[in-house]
This record gives sequence, structure tokens and C-alpha cells, in this order.
Amino acid sequence: MSTELIKVTINGQEFAVEKGARLIDVCREQAFNIPSFCYYQDLALQASCRMCLVRIEKMPKLQTSCTITCTDGMIVTTQSAEIEKAQRAMGEFLLANHPLDCPVCDRGGECELQEMIFDWGDVEERFVESKNATPEKFLSPIVANDPQRCILCKRCTRVCDEWMGEDAIEAGNRGVNTVIGTYGGWLDCSQCGNCIEVCPTGTLLDGTYRHETRPWELDQTISTDTYSSDGMQLSIGSRGGRVHRIVARDRYVDGLNGEFLDVKARFGHGFVNHEERIKTPLIRYKKGGKLIPTTWDEAIHFVTNKFKESGNNVGVVASPRLTNESIFTLKRFAKEVVGSENYTISDVEDLAPFFNNLSVPLATHKEIRHAKTILLIGGEPEEEQTFTAKQIRQAVRNGGAKLIIVHDTPIRLTAQASQFIHVNPKSLDAFALAFADKSDKTILSKIGAAQSEIDDLLKLIGESEGDFIIMFGRDLSAEAQAVLANVAGNFASEKRRVLLHPLPLYNNSVGANDMMAGRKSLSDVLINSTALLIGGSLSKPSALTDGFLSRKDFIVVQEMFETATTEFADVVLPAASFAETDGTFTNNTGFVQRVRQAVEPVHQAKADWIITSMIAREMGVDFGYNFSAPAAFRTLADSIDAYAGLRYPHLKDESKPVQVKHPIAGKKDLSKETDALRRGVEAMPETNEKIIGTPKVGHKLHRLTTMTSKTAQFHLLAHGNPKPENLLVSPLVQFNLDGTPRVEEKAEAASAGDRISDVKRTAGVTLDGKV
Amino acid sequence: MASVAPTFYTNQVQVTDEVANFSPEVVEEMYLHLTKYPPDRKRSALIPLLFVIQRERGYVDNEGVNFLARFLDLEVTDIWETVTFYSMFNLRPVGKHHIQICKTLSCRIIGEPKITEHICNRLGIHVGETTDDEKFTVSLVECLGSCGTAPMMQIGFDYHEDLTTEKVDKLLDSLS
Ligand code: SF4
Ligand code: SF4
Ligand code: FES
Ligand code: FES
Repeated sequence: MSTELIKVTINGQEFAVEKGARLIDVCREQAFNIPSFCYYQDLALQASCRMCLVRIEKMPKLQTSCTITCTDGMIVTTQSAEIEKAQRAMGEFLLANHPLDCPVCDRGGECELQEMIFDWGDVEERFVESKNATPEKFLSPIVANDPQRCILCKRCTRVCDEWMGEDAIEAGNRGVNTVIGTYGGWLDCSQCGNCIEVCPTGTLLDGTYRHETRPWELDQTISTDTYSSDGMQLSIGSRGGRVHRIVARDRYVDGLNGEFLDVKARFGHGFVNHEERIKTPLIRYKKGGKLIPTTWDEAIHFVTNKFKESGNNVGVVASPRLTNESIFTLKRFAKEVVGSENYTISDVEDLAPFFNNLSVPLATHKEIRHAKTILLIGGEPEEEQTFTAKQIRQAVRNGGAKLIIVHDTPIRLTAQASQFIHVNPKSLDAFALAFADKSDKTILSKIGAAQSEIDDLLKLIGESEGDFIIMFGRDLSAEAQAVLANVAGNFASEKRRVLLHPLPLYNNSVGANDMMAGRKSLSDVLINSTALLIGGSLSKPSALTDGFLSRKDFIVVQEMFETATTEFADVVLPAASFAETDGTFTNNTGFVQRVRQAVEPVHQAKADWIITSMIAREMGVDFGYNFSAPAAFRTLADSIDAYAGLRYPHLKDESKPVQVKHPIAGKKDLSKETDALRRGVEAMPETNEKIIGTPKVGHKLHRLTTMTSKTAQFHLLAHGNPKPENLLVSPLVQFNLDGTPRVEEKAEAASAGDRISDVKRTAGVTLDGKV
Repeated sequence: MASVAPTFYTNQVQVTDEVANFSPEVVEEMYLHLTKYPPDRKRSALIPLLFVIQRERGYVDNEGVNFLARFLDLEVTDIWETVTFYSMFNLRPVGKHHIQICKTLSCRIIGEPKITEHICNRLGIHVGETTDDEKFTVSLVECLGSCGTAPMMQIGFDYHEDLTTEKVDKLLDSLS
């Protein structure tokens, strides 16, 4: 969009607006209220509700302001008797088939239709004919559907297509019979719930929250997603100590993700009030014995005595799911209380090589949306960093960006790509070498791509202008990540800005990397210590099976659930979930974002940083937090350069996010890493078999996990527990069609495709969606 | 979290993953249709191909839709959207003569209900049903764009306009 200004007169007042601006946006910015249903910023235009009518001079008839681009000298009237009459009539038509059952509608109280009609509608309905009636139904365990409430704004079909790339929900039939639905009557999709969120009426509703409370009875707490590293902002609805639902922020809040959330963020909150939460501190007095409930005093006392015996042989492990405050406190515990250098994070995928060799700044999600060129090497953002995936898709679809994907699997995003370099399985390292250093015949044969493909890619980058964003997945080795992060700067030029975007797995991977600077590797810590303090659980089963844990003298675990790690614990301390604590997460764009307490900690749980400082105090070191999260954050901010000077009040306004500036290393001599990378590539086995076929929805591996919790990404799913079949109505578990949850014994073995068709076969519905 | 699991799903007809098989000649014909459109606009061939499916299989059946979804790289729901939009495609088996009566404004006002009632009484079926001898199916459809000659209906691909009950009787007599 050019920044050339033009003159537009609205209701007699003159405004200078950007050329190409949309009339409805301009009016709203100038505080002239215009009602609308189908218009949604950054989605394809629909112009079907005709609520946004305005009078434009020299144009016949009233015009829909959502489709009008401002032109110079345009004279607009947004309010007049004529317009009002038209809008009232439109409102009446919209209600012609609407049941007006607000008292039993879950959307009642936060329904756009209700609000608009209240503001702009007529008092009386003149239609006396009988209304269309369709029985309520469920499109999936999480999408409840009351078709007769639909006003056919088609926001749901557009977000599904444009944000999610799913095309799972469409409008069927014609004219007055039009209904929103699917071919099978069953939603075979990634269950993100965005269609529910954007629906202005009570047509698509959160099936897990059906008839639970009225929205105005809920306390809304703005917080940050605890699953993906995108750090999506959300609102936790709680009442009486229970989390009832999670919704995205309002689309009018100029925050990070608007109304976008994914299945985990939106529906994966069942664990907060889950009955299997650890209720009290537990002590195993004898190795091999049982965990016995005890009091906090007794537990802390017990831990202190044992840790004193072990001296500086205590190792500390923090999970990247915890808040910055908690991770930082664990590090302080290692350094200041036990005087040990054995501290680390439990994620084996280390971000340090990336951040230590950063040659350009991190991209924000807005910058991704407006990027001109995007290079994605490996990874599967559609499952792991869903918001990033949405921004990529919109950058291509709505912004005309060029997307280049280098991957061993033709992931679904390749449909958007202008170039797709299909490499051999697990050969991304070889590509990194060829891209960053130089390629030769052997490397090319490992990659399974022609030199010309790489040349094309370099040419495309060389010709590009504007922002160029490089993102790569976790499937690259540490050396490859270091080399790529450092080589990125080479592509910068006067007309091209280069930005990097890491794709880590956990909600606070980036924060954990910042907090735990100078850490040892996980295996070093596990080998070199005799006692362990573990915040969260270890995510990789291998570390457990290697028998490290069974050989330790003493293990303390701060956890919410009993997991495979707590099986080895001598003391288990009940930790609070993200909904029960105050703190911060740092997302993959470097934004420090607030996590806010929505409910009181369940049972006797306490925030991780409080638990750690209680042990520290008993051992004679006072961290000086006084049980205050702001104080903990202050200490943290003052000792980490990138966070210097930050305080909670700075993080208050999500529309003005704070990005920590990770130090930019500049060009480095990475010959050591390059050599290591080359050795690794040379050792790679030769293969000619490529992975073919795009998995129907998302990535085969990840697809299953979205619905069934087989991913380590789930907070719950530190290896071992909790058993997903015990989590009623939640996306963690699939449903049988009679509504009983399915027990997933065979699920692991079955492929994603099998399961989907399974569901379909049992689903069975009329082909045209009619009953 | 809800304490009660949802129990109410739309479940009537079985949906299948089976994909239809067509003879090489038919597949060849489908490819011919494809060549009429640019390679990156494959989906434009949807409507001609739906006609082929309907001709070959009697109606647009589930297996046929699955075939098209693969053939054109579409989601089945995309196809559903198109199929249900056009009243000339049938998602269910229909009788030899498919009587589609327009039920939109002009026709409704000027006498569609009477015509519909007459036809249904004569054939002894309700709207949406097929006679036992599988000869007639009666459906109500949205405006067919012939409002000037309302009330009207379409049988097969032919329009019958300015209908009266006598006209309808004669028409039905002539159909075998
Ligand atoms: S839940 Fe998400 S993917 Fe599924 S239909 Fe709704 S918007 Fe589309
Ligand atoms: S279901 Fe909701 S979002 Fe979709 S068209 Fe109907 S009213 Fe609009
Ligand atoms: S908002 Fe303009 S027509 Fe719906
Ligand atoms: S209303 Fe019947 S043809 Fe238009």
C-alpha cells in the first residue's frame, strides 16, 4: 500500500487517508460507527450482509462500505434517515429465519447479532411466516452447531480456508435453504475452533462449553498460550475456581493474534481442574516405596536435609514450559543455594547455537504477515507454530509473498509455495550446508536435489525486495542452525531486510534459553549430579530409560501430574498450572508476554518459583521475592541484559508488545561448526526414497497428536501421564459417536488416515446435510 | 469442562472412503474436460465432471465425489458446496423423471402450492420422495430464473411454464 494521502469527506468532515484504504476501516478509525457482519479485516470480501451501507455522492443507490476503496474527493454520509431505514430493513431480513432464542444460546451476552440489532435494528418483526428450523447437532466433539441461527456471513468458511487452509466447512444448498456444513456432516479438520470464534451468532459454538455458564458470569483473564511458542494471547474464562473455556482476544484488540487460536490453546485447558492433579506434597521415604502424602512443612524440611547432604552435587533441570520467573529461580537455586554449575533445561533441542550466532534480528508475526519472501527449511508450523503458519499463508494469499519450502515431506503449506525443494528424508542438514557454504556432487546426491534448484532459490532471493524471512525447524542439527543463523546476514542489502524466525516446540523455549544462559547439556547434568531438582518433567523418555534417574540418591520433582519422571522422585511437590500463576513467557519472536492468574492454585499447588524459593529459604538463602511475582521478574530483568529494565507494567498492553533484543553476534568464523556439519553430512546414509504424498490434513505424525495428545508438546504429556482417556470432553481424546470417549489403545499403531476414516465410517450422515 | 459428553450427531447415511472406478473411456473423457482449462485451474472442470459422474452413476454418489476430490485435488466439502448449489445435481438416487418445482417467490405467490399438491396427490408421494416404480421424484427447488412464466417446473432438463393443473395432468400422462 502506498503512503500517498488522499482527501475523503465523511459526514461533512475532511480527512486525509492513505490511498487504497477501505472505506469501512477509515470510517471506524474516525469513530463513525458502521454496523457490519460479513466484513472481516484481512479476509476475502463477502458483501453479503449489507449492514454496512453508506451514501456516496455521485453513486447510485447506497453502497456497501466494506467493498469500497477510498478515492480522492469522495464524499460519504454514514448516517441519515435513508441509511437507517435500509439498515433496519437488513436487520429484519437477517432475523427472518433467526429463532431469537437468546435465553438458551451460549452466545447470548457476547453475540454480535444481538448487539447490532440492539443498536441498529427495529423493535418489531413483521414476518409472521414460520421460520426454518433445523435440529441442533455436533459437527465434531468440539464444534456444536445450531444451523437456524446462521446469518450466512460466511466468516467461518473464509477463516477455515484462508487462515487454516482446511476448507473443511462450506455453505451448501442455495437461497433460503443455504446451510453451513460439510459433506459428511462431520468435521474432518484440525479442530482449531476459529470458525466458532469468528461466528457473530450462536450458530457455531464451543461444544466443550455447551450450556455451562453464561458468558457474563465468567471472569476473563488475559493470558498467554501454554502450548505453542507463538505465544498467542487468549482470555481464560473462569468461575468459582474452575477454568470453563478459553477464547481468543477480541479482533478489535490490536494484539498479537486477534481471534486466532489453535486446538490446543483453545480446548487444551482440561488439565487445569483435572482430578488427577497432584493434591499434596508427596514423599517416598524409602526407594522403591510408595509416595505418601504429607504437608508442605514436612516436605520442604525433608528436601532441605537431603540436599544439604548432597552439597554441590545437586543438579537442577527446568522444563521450557515453565514461566521465566520459575526457570530463573531454579537457576538461582543452582548457583546461589547449592553452588553448582549443573543446571539445564529439559529440552534436548537446544536453541543456544541459534541465538549465539544470530546475525539479524528476529521477525515479529506482523513482519511475517507482510514479508515479501519467506524461506521455510523443515519444521511443521501448521501443527507446532500454528499462528506462524497462518501468517505465512496470509502473507502468500493476501500479500503476494513468495514462499520457498525446503522439506523432506510435502507438507500442506507447499500448496502455497512458489518453490518447493523436495529433499531426501532427514537430509536438511545437507541442504543447510549447500545453502550456507558450498555444494558439490556428493552433497547434492545426499539432498536429492539438483544444483539448479538451489540456484533458482538463490536467484529468487537475490531478486527479492522488502522483508526476507528465514525460518527453520527443529529437524536441523545444532551446527546447521548455527551456520544458518549466521549466514542469514549475508543476504541483507539496501532493498532487502533479512529476519530470522526460530520454530521451537515449547511455549517458553526462547525464555528458557535466555534464563538458563551458561547451562550444561542435559546429559552432563544427569551424569554429574547425585541429587536432582526437576521443575516439570523430562520430555524425552530416553533420558529416563537410560537409567540415569534410577541411580540418583535423591530426586525432587515439581509437577502437576504423576509422570514417568515422578516415578523416580523421592519427593513430589504439587506445582501450579499456567492458569494459576503470574509470570511471563517469551515467544519465538522475542516478545515477553504476561501470564496471569485466572484461578486459585488447585488443592495445595504452588507456583514453581515459590516452591523453589521455599526450599532455598529453608536452606538459608532468601531470594528476596517475598512471594511477589513482580519482584521475581524485577530480579530476573536486572540480571539478564536483554531484559534489562523491564517491569510488569511495561508488559501490560498487549497491543504494544515488548520485544527483547537478543544480542546480534554479527559475522562469525564458523569453520568449526561448518566442518562438523560437513562431517555429519558425509556420514549420512545414501537414500533415493523420497517421502511422497501430502498427508490429508497437516502432517501425518502431528495430525494424530492434535486430537489425541500423543505429542510431547502437551503440557500434560511429559512422558508417562496423564492418561488421555480420563480427560473427558477435551480435544485430548476422540469421541465415539454415542458421545463416550474412545480409549486409544490401538491409536498409536494406527495411522492418522486410518483413524479419520474410522471416524467417518461410524459418523454417517445424510449426504446433503439434511436429517 | 463439560461434565456431559455430547451425544447428538447427525447420523443417517453411511459415509464411505471408497473411490469409484470408471472405465478407461470415461476417464479419458474426464481428462478431455480437464484440458479445456489452464492446468492450475483444474477445479474449473468440476461441473462438467459432475455431469459425467451423474450420467455414469445415476446420481452424484459418495464414491464419485471421492473420485472427483482426488482427480481435482479438492476437499469433498468443496464439491458438496457446488453439488448442493445446483439443483441439476442429485445427491440421492432419483426416479426416471425428476420433477423439480420452483418454490421461490413469484411461483409461490402465483400458485406453486396448488401445483405441488396436485402432483403429489396424483403420484401418491410426498415432496422429496420417489414413486415405487422409480419413475417419478418430486423436489422443490429455488428460483429457476423463469419467473416471468411462473408457476413453472423442470422435468429432466426441460422447462414447463405457466403451469395449470390441467397442463400438469397432460404432461404427466405423456411421460412414461
Ligand atoms: S475448527 Fe478450524 S479447521 Fe475445523 S472447520 Fe472450524 S475453522 Fe475449519
Ligand atoms: S455459521 Fe456463523 S460465521 Fe458461519 S456463516 Fe453462519 S453466522 Fe456466519
Ligand atoms: S459488512 Fe459490508 S456487506 Fe456485510
Ligand atoms: S420464482 Fe420460480 S422461476 Fe423464479
